[in-house]
Amino acid sequence: MADLKLKGVTIVETFAEAFPMVGTRIIITAPSQEWALIAARTMTGFATSVIACGAEAGIERTLSPDETMDGRPGVAVLLFTMDSDKLQRQLRNRVGQCVLTSPGSACFAGLEGEKKLKLGASLRFFGDGWQMSKLVGGRRFWRIPVMDGEFLCEATTGLTKKAVGGGNLLVLGKTHAAVLAASERAVKAIAEIEGVITPFPGGIVRSGSKVGSKYKGQIASTNDAYCPTLKAAVKTDLPFDVEAVMEIVIDGLTKESIARAMHAGIHAIAEGGAKQGITHITAGNYGGNLGPHHFHLKEIVA
Amino acid sequence: MSALAFELKGKPDQRLDLSQLIPERLKDLKAKDIERLAIGSTRVPLTVGDVFKVKGNEASDLRFVGTDGRCDKIGAGLKDGTIIVDGDVGAYLGAGMKRGRIEVKGNAGVLAAASMAGGSIAVSGNVDERAGGILVGETMGMKGGVLTIGGDAGPMVGERMRRGLVIVEGNAGDYAGGRMIAGTILFKRKVGRGAGYGLRRGSLIFVEEPNELLPTFGDCGVMEFDYLQLLEHWLRETGKRISLGDRARRLMGDMSVLGKGEMLILA
Repeated sequence: MADLKLKGVTIVETFAEAFPMVGTRIIITAPSQEWALIAARTMTGFATSVIACGAEAGIERTLSPDETMDGRPGVAVLLFTMDSDKLQRQLRNRVGQCVLTSPGSACFAGLEGEKKLKLGASLRFFGDGWQMSKLVGGRRFWRIPVMDGEFLCEATTGLTKKAVGGGNLLVLGKTHAAVLAASERAVKAIAEIEGVITPFPGGIVRSGSKVGSKYKGQIASTNDAYCPTLKAAVKTDLPFDVEAVMEIVIDGLTKESIARAMHAGIHAIAEGGAKQGITHITAGNYGGNLGPHHFHLKEIVA
Repeated sequence: MSALAFELKGKPDQRLDLSQLIPERLKDLKAKDIERLAIGSTRVPLTVGDVFKVKGNEASDLRFVGTDGRCDKIGAGLKDGTIIVDGDVGAYLGAGMKRGRIEVKGNAGVLAAASMAGGSIAVSGNVDERAGGILVGETMGMKGGVLTIGGDAGPMVGERMRRGLVIVEGNAGDYAGGRMIAGTILFKRKVGRGAGYGLRRGSLIFVEEPNELLPTFGDCGVMEFDYLQLLEHWLRETGKRISLGDRARRLMGDMSVLGKGEMLILA
């Protein structure tokens, strides 16, 4: 196999297999950048994987006061699920429990979108009849009285059905520290890309999964082919000198944004070259029959 | 293509009903046909050609030049396009308009923007009573859009208004925002007596504290409103120089009716 090399790191000739998702973006603002981040982190907590969290969510980027509708510091948050109804439910619950509750927060639409999701239009009922609706520049906002004043929340936000979930990179290396450092670099580089998030802790997954299990009822289980401790016992995909593997999972509003993020990620991982202990960059797929989006590393890296 | 312009030849001896002179009506007419349109309001017949010099051909971009306070219903029922008036206008400016833009470099008569549903009207001078108010036969006043009054507003601005934004740069007369159902009026200077009389919902924002407040409004004290920052930000984006800040004293009322409206007096 004529694998491509990037600064001595082997780019395995394979592809990341990704799935269609529905996604939305909202803008959270607050009296300070710190409080906008607190609200955003709370809202996107426990949202690493749709397998058990109901949604995948993350912070896309921070926004300066001149980028937000109310002139306060803000944060753009992306939220993804597998269908529109689930997205609506997750959005209502997460904004209702985590943003509405956060001191001084306000919440705005971040996406035009082909369809609309209710935002303030459902949270307004918290106002118990004292809520006020305001149209500003053709957009509807709800002012909901709360104990620190008012929660200002746009009525709706856009939804896109063109979102893509599960873009991924697998980083293989000779030491745990090297793989972690390279993955951190990749997450940082991907954070600069518009329209994507890396929903796992710090953007990195250490427990990649395969579909199914030997146990009944367990829908996903450890990706044994990439577990370094099992090299001798299973049909491993790891070279003998690989000590650790980490995965970066990327969700994006479009497939183009995923491709840009993977490109930035690969180059960041390979930045230090092979001498820093990274041996391979590969990607996870299910043979290509499950997900319609295939991101071939060879094309991505170019 | 140049703007279709109507230049008043001289002072008309009767009030003019100019509601036909909107892009929708003019777009397929030839200059000759436009000049034959009847615009009189008495038994003495009067056509466009009798009182206006008509120039240009772009019907979506209308100009009125040298008009006076007898030129009624300019832009009434407007659905699209732009109308720029260099002069004063009479009653019913942009009444019931749905979309489009009207700009008046002069004063406007009674019921400007009455029951308008959308679009924008900017009058650089004063407007007479019931601007943004309610047309005869209608159940609601202004239902959407933005009305900007550069000068003073007469009594009952925004009467029975349902939606939309009115900005009064100068002083406003008595009963401003009277019987309002909802919507927003921003007063940059003084208002007369009885502001917010019968206010059900809606917001009256005062840059200067009114001289007298109706006793049927309840004081909630001063607090922060992110809504004011949102409004300020949007107004600035649309080119209006304004500073609202984020603190205001809130009064709720009118408690003699529904009482879910508010006065926000900037603090």
